[in-house]
Amino acid sequence: MNCNELKSLVQEYVTRELTPEDRHRVDTHVMDCQDCRRELALMSAVVSGLDSQPASEPPAGFAARVMAGLPRQRELVLSPWWSLAAAPVLGVLAYLFRAPLLESVLRLAGRTGIGQVSVTELGLAQMAIVPAVVVLLALGVTAAAATYCWRSC
Amino acid sequence: MGREVEATAEESLVRRSAHGDGRAFAVLVNRYKGMVFSTACRLLNDAGRAEDAAQETFIKAYAALPGFRGEAKFSSWLYRICYNSCISMLRKKRPEVELKEAATASVPGPVEEVRSRSIKQAVMDEVVEMPEDYRAMITLYHFNGLSYEEIALTTRKPLGTVKAQIHRARALLKTRLIERVGWEELRKVMWT
Repeated sequence: MNCNELKSLVQEYVTRELTPEDRHRVDTHVMDCQDCRRELALMSAVVSGLDSQPASEPPAGFAARVMAGLPRQRELVLSPWWSLAAAPVLGVLAYLFRAPLLESVLRLAGRTGIGQVSVTELGLAQMAIVPAVVVLLALGVTAAAATYCWRSC
Repeated sequence: MGREVEATAEESLVRRSAHGDGRAFAVLVNRYKGMVFSTACRLLNDAGRAEDAAQETFIKAYAALPGFRGEAKFSSWLYRICYNSCISMLRKKRPEVELKEAATASVPGPVEEVRSRSIKQAVMDEVVEMPEDYRAMITLYHFNGLSYEEIALTTRKPLGTVKAQIHRARALLKTRLIERVGWEELRKVMWT
Protein backbone atom coordinates (compact mmCIF):
# COMPACT_ATOMS: atom_id res chain seq x y z
CA MET A 1 0.00 0.00 0.00
CA ASN A 2 1.24 3.50 -0.80
CA CYS A 3 0.37 6.80 0.88
CA ASN A 4 -2.20 7.84 -1.76
CA GLU A 5 -4.03 4.58 -1.38
CA LEU A 6 -4.04 4.98 2.37
CA LYS A 7 -5.46 8.50 2.07
CA SER A 8 -8.34 7.12 0.02
CA LEU A 9 -9.10 4.51 2.69
CA VAL A 10 -8.47 6.46 5.86
CA GLN A 11 -12.12 7.44 6.46
CA GLU A 12 -13.41 3.91 5.97
CA TYR A 13 -10.69 2.70 8.33
CA VAL A 14 -11.80 5.08 11.05
CA THR A 15 -15.51 4.35 10.57
CA ARG A 16 -14.78 0.59 10.48
CA GLU A 17 -16.11 0.04 6.99
CA LEU A 18 -12.97 -1.67 5.67
CA THR A 19 -12.58 -5.40 5.17
CA PRO A 20 -10.21 -7.11 7.65
CA GLU A 21 -7.65 -7.51 4.83
CA ASP A 22 -7.66 -3.78 4.03
CA ARG A 23 -7.50 -2.90 7.72
CA HIS A 24 -4.46 -5.06 8.04
CA ARG A 25 -2.83 -3.38 5.04
CA VAL A 26 -3.47 0.05 6.55
CA ASP A 27 -2.10 -1.07 9.93
CA THR A 28 1.03 -2.40 8.30
CA HIS A 29 1.59 0.78 6.29
CA VAL A 30 1.17 3.24 9.19
CA MET A 31 3.71 1.34 11.27
CA ASP A 32 6.41 2.62 8.93
CA CYS A 33 4.94 5.92 7.71
CA GLN A 34 4.78 8.88 10.05
CA ASP A 35 2.77 11.11 7.68
CA CYS A 36 0.06 8.50 7.30
CA ARG A 37 0.04 7.86 11.01
CA ARG A 38 -0.62 11.55 11.49
CA GLU A 39 -3.34 11.47 8.82
CA LEU A 40 -5.01 8.56 10.56
CA ALA A 41 -4.78 10.16 14.01
CA LEU A 42 -6.27 13.38 12.74
CA MET A 43 -9.19 11.68 10.99
CA SER A 44 -9.80 9.59 14.12
CA ALA A 45 -9.97 12.78 16.17
CA VAL A 46 -12.42 14.34 13.72
CA VAL A 47 -14.69 11.27 13.62
CA SER A 48 -14.56 10.71 17.36
CA GLY A 49 -15.34 14.41 17.90
CA LEU A 50 -18.36 14.04 15.61
CA ASP A 51 -19.59 10.78 17.10
CA SER A 52 -19.43 11.98 20.68
CA GLN A 53 -21.57 15.09 20.34
CA PRO A 54 -24.32 15.11 22.96
CA ALA A 55 -27.93 15.28 21.78
CA SER A 56 -29.84 18.51 22.35
CA GLU A 57 -32.93 18.27 24.52
CA PRO A 58 -36.03 20.19 23.48
CA PRO A 59 -37.17 22.91 25.90
CA ALA A 60 -39.68 22.08 28.64
CA GLY A 61 -43.28 21.95 27.45
CA PHE A 62 -42.29 21.23 23.86
CA ALA A 63 -44.57 18.18 23.48
CA ALA A 64 -47.52 20.05 24.98
CA ARG A 65 -47.01 22.90 22.51
CA VAL A 66 -46.90 20.42 19.62
CA MET A 67 -50.13 18.79 20.78
CA ALA A 68 -51.80 22.18 21.21
CA GLY A 69 -50.81 23.09 17.65
CA LEU A 70 -52.44 20.05 16.04
CA PRO A 71 -55.61 20.54 14.01
CA ARG A 72 -58.62 19.65 16.17
CA GLN A 73 -61.20 18.51 13.58
CA ARG A 74 -59.65 15.14 12.77
CA GLU A 75 -60.12 13.94 16.31
CA LEU A 76 -63.86 14.52 16.04
CA VAL A 77 -64.32 12.50 12.88
CA LEU A 78 -64.90 8.79 13.14
CA SER A 79 -62.70 6.69 10.94
CA PRO A 80 -64.71 5.49 7.92
CA TRP A 81 -63.69 1.92 8.78
CA TRP A 82 -65.13 2.16 12.27
CA SER A 83 -68.43 3.55 11.04
CA LEU A 84 -68.51 0.89 8.31
CA ALA A 85 -68.07 -1.79 10.97
CA ALA A 86 -70.74 -0.11 13.12
CA ALA A 87 -73.38 -0.23 10.36
CA PRO A 88 -74.24 -3.96 10.58
CA VAL A 89 -74.01 -3.91 14.40
CA LEU A 90 -76.46 -1.02 14.56
CA GLY A 91 -78.66 -2.80 11.99
CA VAL A 92 -78.84 -5.97 14.11
CA LEU A 93 -79.61 -3.97 17.27
CA ALA A 94 -82.32 -2.05 15.45
CA TYR A 95 -83.79 -5.36 14.17
CA LEU A 96 -83.86 -6.84 17.69
CA PHE A 97 -85.58 -3.77 19.10
CA ARG A 98 -87.67 -3.06 15.99
CA ALA A 99 -91.04 -3.14 17.78
CA PRO A 100 -90.32 -0.55 20.52
CA LEU A 101 -88.35 1.58 18.03
CA LEU A 102 -91.15 1.57 15.49
CA GLU A 103 -93.70 2.25 18.22
CA SER A 104 -91.72 5.32 19.30
CA VAL A 105 -91.49 6.52 15.72
CA LEU A 106 -95.22 6.02 15.11
CA ARG A 107 -96.12 7.69 18.40
CA LEU A 108 -94.03 10.66 17.39
CA ALA A 109 -95.67 10.66 13.96
CA GLY A 110 -99.12 10.52 15.62
CA ARG A 111 -98.28 13.45 17.91
CA THR A 112 -97.08 15.59 15.05
CA GLY A 113 -100.15 14.63 13.03
CA ILE A 114 -98.24 12.89 10.24
CA GLY A 115 -100.15 9.60 10.57
CA GLN A 116 -102.10 7.32 12.93
CA VAL A 117 -100.98 3.68 12.60
CA SER A 118 -100.68 1.06 15.36
CA VAL A 119 -97.63 -1.23 15.53
CA THR A 120 -99.84 -4.29 15.72
CA GLU A 121 -101.33 -3.42 12.32
CA LEU A 122 -97.89 -3.58 10.66
CA GLY A 123 -96.48 -6.77 9.19
CA LEU A 124 -92.98 -8.13 9.75
CA ALA A 125 -91.77 -6.83 6.37
CA GLN A 126 -92.93 -3.32 7.17
CA MET A 127 -91.24 -3.41 10.58
CA ALA A 128 -87.93 -4.34 8.95
CA ILE A 129 -87.85 -0.83 7.57
CA VAL A 130 -86.42 0.40 10.92
CA PRO A 131 -83.15 -1.58 10.81
CA ALA A 132 -82.87 -0.78 7.11
CA VAL A 133 -83.08 2.95 7.83
CA VAL A 134 -80.51 2.60 10.63
CA VAL A 135 -78.08 0.74 8.34
CA LEU A 136 -78.55 3.37 5.65
CA LEU A 137 -77.85 6.14 8.17
CA ALA A 138 -74.68 4.37 9.35
CA LEU A 139 -73.53 3.96 5.75
CA GLY A 140 -74.24 7.64 5.22
CA VAL A 141 -71.97 8.49 8.17
CA THR A 142 -69.32 6.18 6.67
CA ALA A 143 -69.50 7.95 3.32
CA ALA A 144 -69.31 11.38 4.99
CA ALA A 145 -66.29 10.35 7.11
CA ALA A 146 -64.55 8.83 4.08
CA THR A 147 -65.16 11.99 2.06
CA TYR A 148 -63.80 14.14 4.90
CA CYS A 149 -60.67 12.00 5.27
CA TRP A 150 -60.13 11.92 1.52
CA ARG A 151 -60.35 15.72 1.34
CA SER A 152 -58.32 16.53 4.44
CA CYS A 153 -55.58 13.91 4.12
CA MET B 1 -38.13 -10.43 19.89
CA GLY B 2 -38.06 -7.21 21.94
CA ARG B 3 -37.54 -5.15 18.80
CA GLU B 4 -40.42 -6.92 17.04
CA VAL B 5 -42.74 -6.12 19.94
CA GLU B 6 -41.53 -2.52 19.92
CA ALA B 7 -42.05 -2.28 16.14
CA THR B 8 -45.56 -3.71 16.45
CA ALA B 9 -46.36 -1.30 19.26
CA GLU B 10 -45.07 1.55 17.12
CA GLU B 11 -47.12 0.38 14.12
CA SER B 12 -50.19 0.43 16.30
CA LEU B 13 -49.37 3.93 17.57
CA VAL B 14 -48.84 5.15 14.02
CA ARG B 15 -52.10 3.58 12.84
CA ARG B 16 -54.07 5.05 15.73
CA SER B 17 -52.48 8.46 15.19
CA ALA B 18 -53.41 8.29 11.51
CA HIS B 19 -57.02 7.87 12.63
CA GLY B 20 -56.80 10.98 14.77
CA ASP B 21 -55.96 9.43 18.15
CA GLY B 22 -54.21 12.33 19.89
CA ARG B 23 -53.01 10.21 22.82
CA ALA B 24 -51.23 7.78 20.50
CA PHE B 25 -49.62 10.67 18.66
CA ALA B 26 -48.49 12.22 21.96
CA VAL B 27 -46.57 9.01 22.70
CA LEU B 28 -44.83 9.30 19.31
CA VAL B 29 -44.02 12.97 19.92
CA ASN B 30 -42.45 12.14 23.29
CA ARG B 31 -40.51 9.26 21.77
CA TYR B 32 -39.04 11.25 18.88
CA LYS B 33 -38.93 14.85 20.13
CA GLY B 34 -35.26 14.59 21.15
CA MET B 35 -34.23 13.13 17.81
CA VAL B 36 -36.17 15.71 15.79
CA PHE B 37 -35.09 18.68 17.92
CA SER B 38 -31.43 17.62 17.88
CA THR B 39 -31.47 17.25 14.10
CA ALA B 40 -33.10 20.65 13.67
CA CYS B 41 -30.62 22.25 16.10
CA ARG B 42 -27.68 20.92 14.14
CA LEU B 43 -29.07 21.80 10.75
CA LEU B 44 -30.19 25.29 11.74
CA ASN B 45 -27.78 26.05 14.60
CA ASP B 46 -30.38 28.16 16.31
CA ALA B 47 -32.40 26.73 19.21
CA GLY B 48 -35.38 29.02 18.62
CA ARG B 49 -35.71 28.20 14.95
CA ALA B 50 -34.98 24.55 15.70
CA GLU B 51 -37.96 24.45 18.04
CA ASP B 52 -40.17 25.96 15.31
CA ALA B 53 -38.85 23.44 12.78
CA ALA B 54 -39.35 20.53 15.18
CA GLN B 55 -42.88 21.64 15.96
CA GLU B 56 -43.62 22.05 12.25
CA THR B 57 -42.21 18.56 11.65
CA PHE B 58 -44.68 16.94 14.05
CA ILE B 59 -47.64 18.96 12.82
CA LYS B 60 -46.84 18.08 9.20
CA ALA B 61 -46.33 14.45 10.18
CA TYR B 62 -49.71 14.34 11.92
CA ALA B 63 -51.43 15.78 8.86
CA ALA B 64 -49.62 13.39 6.52
CA LEU B 65 -49.97 10.25 8.66
CA PRO B 66 -53.06 8.87 6.87
CA GLY B 67 -50.87 8.71 3.75
CA PHE B 68 -47.99 6.92 5.51
CA ARG B 69 -47.89 3.42 4.10
CA GLY B 70 -45.17 2.02 6.34
CA GLU B 71 -42.78 1.33 3.44
CA ALA B 72 -40.00 3.09 5.37
CA LYS B 73 -39.49 3.13 9.12
CA PHE B 74 -41.56 5.78 10.89
CA SER B 75 -38.35 7.38 12.21
CA SER B 76 -36.87 7.62 8.69
CA TRP B 77 -40.10 9.16 7.43
CA LEU B 78 -39.98 11.67 10.31
CA TYR B 79 -36.33 12.49 9.53
CA ARG B 80 -37.32 13.30 5.97
CA ILE B 81 -40.05 15.69 7.09
CA CYS B 82 -37.66 17.31 9.59
CA TYR B 83 -34.89 17.59 7.00
CA ASN B 84 -37.26 19.18 4.46
CA SER B 85 -38.61 21.64 7.05
CA CYS B 86 -35.09 22.71 8.02
CA ILE B 87 -33.89 23.02 4.44
CA SER B 88 -36.90 25.12 3.54
CA MET B 89 -36.26 27.34 6.59
CA LEU B 90 -32.62 27.73 5.57
CA ARG B 91 -33.70 28.69 2.06
CA LYS B 92 -36.23 31.22 3.27
CA LYS B 93 -33.59 33.05 5.24
CA ARG B 94 -29.94 32.25 4.92
CA PRO B 95 -28.33 33.20 8.21
CA GLU B 96 -24.82 32.08 7.24
CA VAL B 97 -23.30 35.43 8.12
CA GLU B 98 -25.18 35.55 11.43
CA LEU B 99 -24.07 32.00 12.19
CA LYS B 100 -20.46 32.82 11.61
CA GLU B 101 -20.72 35.92 13.75
CA ALA B 102 -22.44 33.99 16.53
CA ALA B 103 -19.93 31.20 16.35
CA THR B 104 -16.94 33.47 16.62
CA ALA B 105 -18.31 36.25 18.80
CA SER B 106 -17.09 35.03 22.17
CA VAL B 107 -14.18 32.95 21.02
CA PRO B 108 -10.93 34.10 22.61
CA GLY B 109 -8.60 32.86 19.86
CA PRO B 110 -7.99 29.65 17.95
CA VAL B 111 -5.35 28.05 20.12
CA GLU B 112 -6.79 29.11 23.45
CA GLU B 113 -10.20 28.07 22.29
CA VAL B 114 -9.18 24.54 21.41
CA ARG B 115 -7.17 24.19 24.58
CA SER B 116 -9.96 25.37 26.82
CA ARG B 117 -13.02 24.01 25.09
CA SER B 118 -11.82 20.62 23.91
CA ILE B 119 -11.63 19.05 20.50
CA LYS B 120 -15.33 18.19 20.51
CA GLN B 121 -16.37 21.81 20.69
CA ALA B 122 -13.84 22.79 18.04
CA VAL B 123 -15.22 20.12 15.72
CA MET B 124 -18.77 21.33 16.38
CA ASP B 125 -17.83 24.93 15.69
CA GLU B 126 -16.36 23.91 12.37
CA VAL B 127 -19.48 21.89 11.49
CA VAL B 128 -21.59 25.01 12.07
CA GLU B 129 -19.59 26.86 9.46
CA MET B 130 -19.76 24.16 6.82
CA PRO B 131 -21.91 24.50 3.68
CA GLU B 132 -25.54 23.37 4.23
CA ASP B 133 -25.26 20.14 2.27
CA TYR B 134 -22.18 19.01 4.14
CA ARG B 135 -23.62 20.00 7.49
CA ALA B 136 -26.77 18.00 6.73
CA MET B 137 -24.77 14.91 5.78
CA ILE B 138 -22.59 15.10 8.87
CA THR B 139 -25.65 15.64 11.08
CA LEU B 140 -27.56 12.69 9.68
CA TYR B 141 -24.59 10.30 9.62
CA HIS B 142 -22.65 11.15 12.76
CA PHE B 143 -25.14 12.83 15.06
CA ASN B 144 -28.25 10.85 14.19
CA GLY B 145 -26.50 7.59 13.32
CA LEU B 146 -28.32 7.04 10.02
CA SER B 147 -26.86 4.66 7.46
CA TYR B 148 -25.85 5.87 3.98
CA GLU B 149 -29.00 4.25 2.59
CA GLU B 150 -31.25 5.97 5.12
CA ILE B 151 -29.61 9.31 4.35
CA ALA B 152 -30.18 8.75 0.65
CA LEU B 153 -33.87 8.11 1.38
CA THR B 154 -34.15 11.11 3.69
CA THR B 155 -32.48 13.60 1.38
CA ARG B 156 -33.63 11.96 -1.88
CA LYS B 157 -30.06 11.99 -3.15
CA PRO B 158 -28.29 9.12 -4.90
CA LEU B 159 -26.31 6.83 -2.60
CA GLY B 160 -23.05 7.72 -4.38
CA THR B 161 -23.66 11.44 -3.84
CA VAL B 162 -24.35 10.85 -0.15
CA LYS B 163 -21.11 8.90 0.35
CA ALA B 164 -19.09 11.44 -1.63
CA GLN B 165 -20.51 14.39 0.30
CA ILE B 166 -19.83 12.75 3.66
CA HIS B 167 -16.25 12.05 2.57
CA ARG B 168 -15.73 15.60 1.37
CA ALA B 169 -17.32 17.02 4.51
CA ARG B 170 -14.96 15.07 6.80
CA ALA B 171 -11.96 16.01 4.67
CA LEU B 172 -12.99 19.66 4.81
CA LEU B 173 -13.45 19.44 8.56
CA LYS B 174 -9.99 17.99 8.99
CA THR B 175 -8.41 20.68 6.79
CA ARG B 176 -10.21 23.48 8.61
CA LEU B 177 -9.22 22.15 12.01
CA ILE B 178 -5.57 22.12 10.98
CA GLU B 179 -5.88 25.61 9.47
CA ARG B 180 -7.55 26.89 12.58
CA VAL B 181 -5.27 25.52 15.21
CA GLY B 182 -2.27 23.97 13.53
CA TRP B 183 -1.21 20.35 13.73
CA GLU B 184 1.10 20.74 16.69
CA GLU B 185 -1.54 22.41 18.84
CA LEU B 186 -4.14 19.93 17.75
CA ARG B 187 -1.89 17.05 18.66
CA LYS B 188 -1.42 18.48 22.15
CA VAL B 189 -5.17 18.66 22.61
CA MET B 190 -5.77 15.20 21.16
CA TRP B 191 -3.35 13.50 23.46
CA THR B 192 -3.83 15.47 26.67
